[in-house]
Amino acid sequence: MRIFIVIPAHNEAKRIGAVLADAVKTKLPIVVVDDGSTDKTCEVAKKFKVTLLRHRINLGKGSALKTGCEAAFSMGAQAVVFLDSDGQHKIEDLPKFIRALNTGKYDIVFGSRNLNMGVPIERYVGNKLASILVNLLFNIYVSDLICGYRGLTKRAFQKLDWESTGYGVETETVVKCGRLGLTHCEVPVATVYYDKFKGVSILDALGILLDVFRWRLKR
Amino acid sequence: MILGLQLTAIIFSLVMIYFALIHYKKGQLNGTEILSWIIIWIAAMFVVAFPEILRTYARTFFVTRVFDLMVLGGFILVISLVSAAYVRSKRTEKKLEELVRKLALRDTKKKK
Repeated sequence: MRIFIVIPAHNEAKRIGAVLADAVKTKLPIVVVDDGSTDKTCEVAKKFKVTLLRHRINLGKGSALKTGCEAAFSMGAQAVVFLDSDGQHKIEDLPKFIRALNTGKYDIVFGSRNLNMGVPIERYVGNKLASILVNLLFNIYVSDLICGYRGLTKRAFQKLDWESTGYGVETETVVKCGRLGLTHCEVPVATVYYDKFKGVSILDALGILLDVFRWRLKR
Repeated sequence: MILGLQLTAIIFSLVMIYFALIHYKKGQLNGTEILSWIIIWIAAMFVVAFPEILRTYARTFFVTRVFDLMVLGGFILVISLVSAAYVRSKRTEKKLEELVRKLALRDTKKKK
């Protein structure tokens, strides 16, 4: 299966270099989407052998992933693996996604972090409660709803057609995966938290929670 | 007291007509929109100046005081405007997102 790595990036000039240096070693084609960064993210990414796309303004992670997927699939990808640009995902975990996708059994492969792998306790508890809520509402259990490390096939991308432009994309993917009956599995991944103020904030989490109820009513 | 309230409301309506005219001159409102806003604010001034004309309507809707009817009408108007503005901003957001994404994909194709 032809697999591409898709990396959405917003103001990650400090860290994206190290992420790309690791990612290019895998020899997989890489698509980087600079989501309207105001720092030198774009310049740093240009130094590597990657396909670079640029949003002129910041739209959010969901939109950046959509653009990245469209580009990758138009270049012949059959599946993609999402990797965060802040270095919180380890490239050593990538083979797990590739193996799972290559079996051909799964439309989506979710990465799952746990307490032993560097997740702060408050995030772990919040994440578990959210997983239980989604399980009750949509009859699908994914142990780590908001982990951005995941892989999906072209078929899954076309079926999912997510509407979330921001951090809600991960939860929406799980919800739609349950609704559409897509096949999925989870693989354990390690994570490193560098920045307290980046990523999903409490406000983002509340917005996602409201979205979860909205998606439930949409049925 | 009532006269003071009426005067404040009338001055407020006049200021709002002035703002609407400024937006019209800047081209941010078209002819129909400016006309609608002027009619709305003149009607508001008229109702504030002669509240008795609403007495019959207040009785029809089982509202005891004319003032309550005006507050109710104001709420309905504000809620409708906020919902319309929300729908429009969502639509604009969606179009903007599509445009930015399309430009990003087009730029990449050009480079190749």
